Amino acid sequence: MVKRVFERPLSWIERIFFIDFIRGLSITIRHAFRRTITTHYPYEKLVPPKRFRGFFGHKVVDGKEPQPAFDEWVERFKIKVEVGKSRCVVCMLCKRACPVPQLFEIEGEKLPDGRRRVSVFNMNMMLCTFCGFCVDACPVDCLFQSDIHETASYTRRDAVLNLEILEKIGRDWQRRREEEPDRIWIDDKNRERLWYENSVKLPEVKR
Amino acid sequence: MEGFVAWLIITLIKILVILAVVLGVGAYLTLLERKVAAHIQRRPGPMVVGWHGLLQPLADGLKLLTKEDLFPRYGNKFLYNLALVMALVPATLVFAVIPFGPEFELFGIKIKPMLTDVNIGILLVFALGSMAVFSIALAGWASNSKYALIGSMRKAGIIVSYEVVITFAVMGPIILAGTLSTYDIVQKQIDQKLWYIWLQPIAFVVYMFAMLAETGRVPFDVQEAEAELVTGFTVEYGGMKFGLFPLVEWYIEVLSLSAIAVVLFLGGWSPINIPFLGFLDPLFFLGPLSPFVWFILKVSLLFLFVLWLHWTLPRYRIDQIAETAWKVMLPLTFVNLVFTAIIAPLIWR
Repeated sequence: MVKRVFERPLSWIERIFFIDFIRGLSITIRHAFRRTITTHYPYEKLVPPKRFRGFFGHKVVDGKEPQPAFDEWVERFKIKVEVGKSRCVVCMLCKRACPVPQLFEIEGEKLPDGRRRVSVFNMNMMLCTFCGFCVDACPVDCLFQSDIHETASYTRRDAVLNLEILEKIGRDWQRRREEEPDRIWIDDKNRERLWYENSVKLPEVKR
Repeated sequence: MEGFVAWLIITLIKILVILAVVLGVGAYLTLLERKVAAHIQRRPGPMVVGWHGLLQPLADGLKLLTKEDLFPRYGNKFLYNLALVMALVPATLVFAVIPFGPEFELFGIKIKPMLTDVNIGILLVFALGSMAVFSIALAGWASNSKYALIGSMRKAGIIVSYEVVITFAVMGPIILAGTLSTYDIVQKQIDQKLWYIWLQPIAFVVYMFAMLAETGRVPFDVQEAEAELVTGFTVEYGGMKFGLFPLVEWYIEVLSLSAIAVVLFLGGWSPINIPFLGFLDPLFFLGPLSPFVWFILKVSLLFLFVLWLHWTLPRYRIDQIAETAWKVMLPLTFVNLVFTAIIAPLIWR
């Protein structure tokens, strides 16, 4: 059975005195005198939340690797661990998890002392969908997604992230945001400007 | 002979002042509109060029002037350019009969702050107003484009309906004043101690609606309808030729029609009116400048109200607009006319 639903028709009083017009006008005038909620983009920038899926990076070895997974993988592949260099153990799990695997170019090299390390790690961002499967797959918390979202480049070649750039992004991230509590909306002044009306108090995160 | 030379000089000065003020203000109203729209949507609007974007109109004008002048294939070049002239000239000519203040004396010469006090001022305004339909129809036809033609036909349909309505709406104040001269209408309102809006609220509301329709403002902006037609009849125009149409239609025409509304309904340069008792002037300290300030204040408030409406309301459908004009507005103005004719002798006294 079809149920018929009509809109409530305007009463004559409402029609004659333009009550609905006045209601709309009152809303717009109230908004007109409130504070603006935009950021002046090229001059001011919002910090994205920590979980933001932006450009990729390689976290570097700094003694905070997930244990015992990191040591197990290092043991298995005889990886040469250097402080300040990528944590990558060349397990290729990121490439296997990727829906567009050809965007990864990963190679390891054998050093004269018999140990191994990653030598090539290229990610072609032209093909990437930023799904984050590779990040989930990474067993040593090496590959991650940063808050870098201004990714325009002049050539397609610049869209390929190599190991050097990935490590640089990783070092920068670990310096800036590694310690930050993981929440969707961080305590950012600029972001609060967007949300000041409901003034939601987020519960304190225990570290 | 001397009188003639003085008259000529004064008239030339008036023409220059009016043209400069109208076109300059018209350009800066684009900034005002963008600011009002932005703040209603809680954005700051243009902020980069100059302090709070104060130089934005100049930057826009410079950009539009340096753009390439495109012309559509198989269009009619003569009509295409004629449409521009037909849009700009009548819209600015309307300001010839708008009185900005009372007559004053400077160096022993009596000057009326209006270009010409013709005794058929209001008639002239609406004659010029109906010229707008030609410019729009020509612009749509000459640019050889479907969207432009649809836009221009819609607009022409609206203007034809609302010309009738607006003419009958202003009939009320004209009857009460007993004259067609804009200067005398204001003078009559001051003599009778009565703004005509107190006796003609219906006519005022109808006038406002017709003004929105004639100038293509929301809720009657079907000729532009950026969601359906790209920008209506201006699609095929480029550069400053494109910039001129919105300037004329949205700013100069709205300005001139709000000035006419102030003259007809809100007592021109007179201060706040208490019906039949007198006038209350909170701006008395400005002395002889007070009437000019009052006129500018009223016109700008009316203009801001139009902007406010524009950024609040959605758009009506074309058939609803025509229906409102012929089935609601026109009978209302007839009723208003009869009512006015009955009470007019009381006002004349």
